[in-house]
Amino acid sequence: MLTLEWLGNFCFSVLRLSTPLIYAGLAAVISKKAGMMNMALEGMMLCAALGGVIFAGLSGNVWIGLIGAVIVGVLVGGVIAFSSLSGKTDLYLTCIAVNLAASGGTVFVMYLITGEKATTSAAIKAYTLPSVAIPLINKIPFFGPMLSGHNILTYIAFFSIFAVWFFLTKTRLGLRLRAVGENPTAAASVGISVMKIGYISFLISGVLCGLAGAFMSMGWVSFFMKGMVNGRGYIGLSASNIANGNPIGAGITAIFFGLCDASATALKSQTSFPTEFLEMIPYAATMVALVVFGFIRNSRLHKIEKGK
Amino acid sequence: MNKTSKVEFTVELIRIITAVAIAYAIALITLFAVSDDPVYIIKQFILGPFSSIRRVGSIINLAIPFTFTGLCFCFMYAVNKFNLSGEGIFMFSGCVISLVAIKLGSTFPAPLNIVLLFAVGALTGAVVSLLPAWMDSKFNANIVVSSLMLNSILMFFSIYILKYMMRDTTIGSLGSLPIPTNAKLPSVFGKFRVHAGIFIAILAVVLVAILFYKMIFGYKMRVVGSNPWFAKACGINMTGTIIAAQLIGGALAGVGGTCEILGNYDRFNWVSSTQHGFDGLMVAVLARKNPLLVPVAAFLLAYIRIGADVVNSKGDIPIEFITVIQGIVILMVAAEEFMGRFKKNLIYKAAREELAEKEKAEGKN
Repeated sequence: MLTLEWLGNFCFSVLRLSTPLIYAGLAAVISKKAGMMNMALEGMMLCAALGGVIFAGLSGNVWIGLIGAVIVGVLVGGVIAFSSLSGKTDLYLTCIAVNLAASGGTVFVMYLITGEKATTSAAIKAYTLPSVAIPLINKIPFFGPMLSGHNILTYIAFFSIFAVWFFLTKTRLGLRLRAVGENPTAAASVGISVMKIGYISFLISGVLCGLAGAFMSMGWVSFFMKGMVNGRGYIGLSASNIANGNPIGAGITAIFFGLCDASATALKSQTSFPTEFLEMIPYAATMVALVVFGFIRNSRLHKIEKGK
Repeated sequence: MNKTSKVEFTVELIRIITAVAIAYAIALITLFAVSDDPVYIIKQFILGPFSSIRRVGSIINLAIPFTFTGLCFCFMYAVNKFNLSGEGIFMFSGCVISLVAIKLGSTFPAPLNIVLLFAVGALTGAVVSLLPAWMDSKFNANIVVSSLMLNSILMFFSIYILKYMMRDTTIGSLGSLPIPTNAKLPSVFGKFRVHAGIFIAILAVVLVAILFYKMIFGYKMRVVGSNPWFAKACGINMTGTIIAAQLIGGALAGVGGTCEILGNYDRFNWVSSTQHGFDGLMVAVLARKNPLLVPVAAFLLAYIRIGADVVNSKGDIPIEFITVIQGIVILMVAAEEFMGRFKKNLIYKAAREELAEKEKAEGKN
């Protein structure tokens, strides 16, 4: 079982499974840095996944499907921003409402269009975004099967880690976004529109979730399935929380969670090992991380209080 | 009650009724637009839930767990902590008490056994909700994140218990061994087939209402939630009150899960989170964290659900559309700006009148 080829394939599936988690984690990072917690990643991804399949099916072009998924993601982000920023609804409640509406609404829309309640695989022609074989690298043993031949969105995911890092730390808008997140009143006092930044953060979140959704329904598989996001939005949220809002950290954590996911899948098919515990890891790790961060923060405060 | 709070109460009521009415209208329009036989379907949606005794019974049966989780979120809300663990606790305590019931078998006579199981369910809920509450108070960990994570952990843990500790291998689907008959809640009211959990639910509502409005702890809790600085200045034990409220909330969610399993199920077969927690959140939002209104909101939600269920079985509309309606209701009830200007105008008007009256009175003197 433990051959080099198997290991290469396993690493391939780790990268593949971490793709949606990376996008979700980055989307959560953007919101977190703007001082908000976006719990609705799950619903945004689900809507985008369905939107992508429908747009691709209607137009017959997979790229229009990808754009459609992103547009749907942005729209859902806009709805959240509108109701929480303009409508002054509690953000947590907004996100719960959006998740709830997305879980049922996608099934409803799917039923209206295809007449099916479980998947679109029979009714809508399947489209997948192309995979890319990297020349030269695909000849190297181990690294070839691991790095080459991924879906294009997987490569874009790794690129987005750096794009988000660059955006947050090197651009003017990123600086403003962080300023609003750190202290909205101070940011407003120097003339930054807190409301506008909030909208922008949700729209960027929407783009990233749109890509994640597109990967789910047009890369991972080639159809939409009821509830297919299956908690990945929450895992992305935990990745961002563990990394404390650092995009690179969130990316690494997402890959680690992808590793847990891939191991669970591999073990499920081969042994009777209770994989439930592997599936718990992302969630348990987040709770531990929250405690550790809290402990560090507390002891730092303690030191300051002592005046040392 | 002074004029301002009277205005607030009235506007709140109008707001909630308007929100539900708008959502209901959206539901009807959706049904009208997508159905081949809209008149029949809409009639089924509105009147269907009351068309047979059995269905009225199932509305009540569905409202029971909503009442428990709604009460649970009333407590979380009252102290302003967004502890979402009710969702996971509902499933987990259902799982734990199934395991206990199966292991105990027929050791105890029925009434004692049921009381024991309810105690176990409540205890499970309280212990589980302690974790996020403790992490919040001790380490200032974001309670929404920790409780959400806890929900997923509880779900996987329940599935693990189901698969490895009480699975019935003789049946095709994944399910536990049958729950012994001496653990089951009897059904009452004859043809309605409502299970005896309804009495526990009513009792819980009454007790929680007394706790909220007639006891010192309830007052403390509401002060802590609505004005933490004032509570601190008064010397109320903030941490203790906040944690205790969440423990009670967790226990209620645990009782809800117990009730659901013992009342409606022959064996434990939940393999994913039941969403009762999030439904309870909606109930608490609709009831404006007033425990006495919780059963009303729970009944309303159950009525709409059963209506959707009837439509689902009779016609061409999937039941899932109802969650969209639910989402709209939450958004509109929770949106402060929804009818906000109307409320402000009314309050200004009331204040002006009050001032005018005062001036008049002073003028006379």
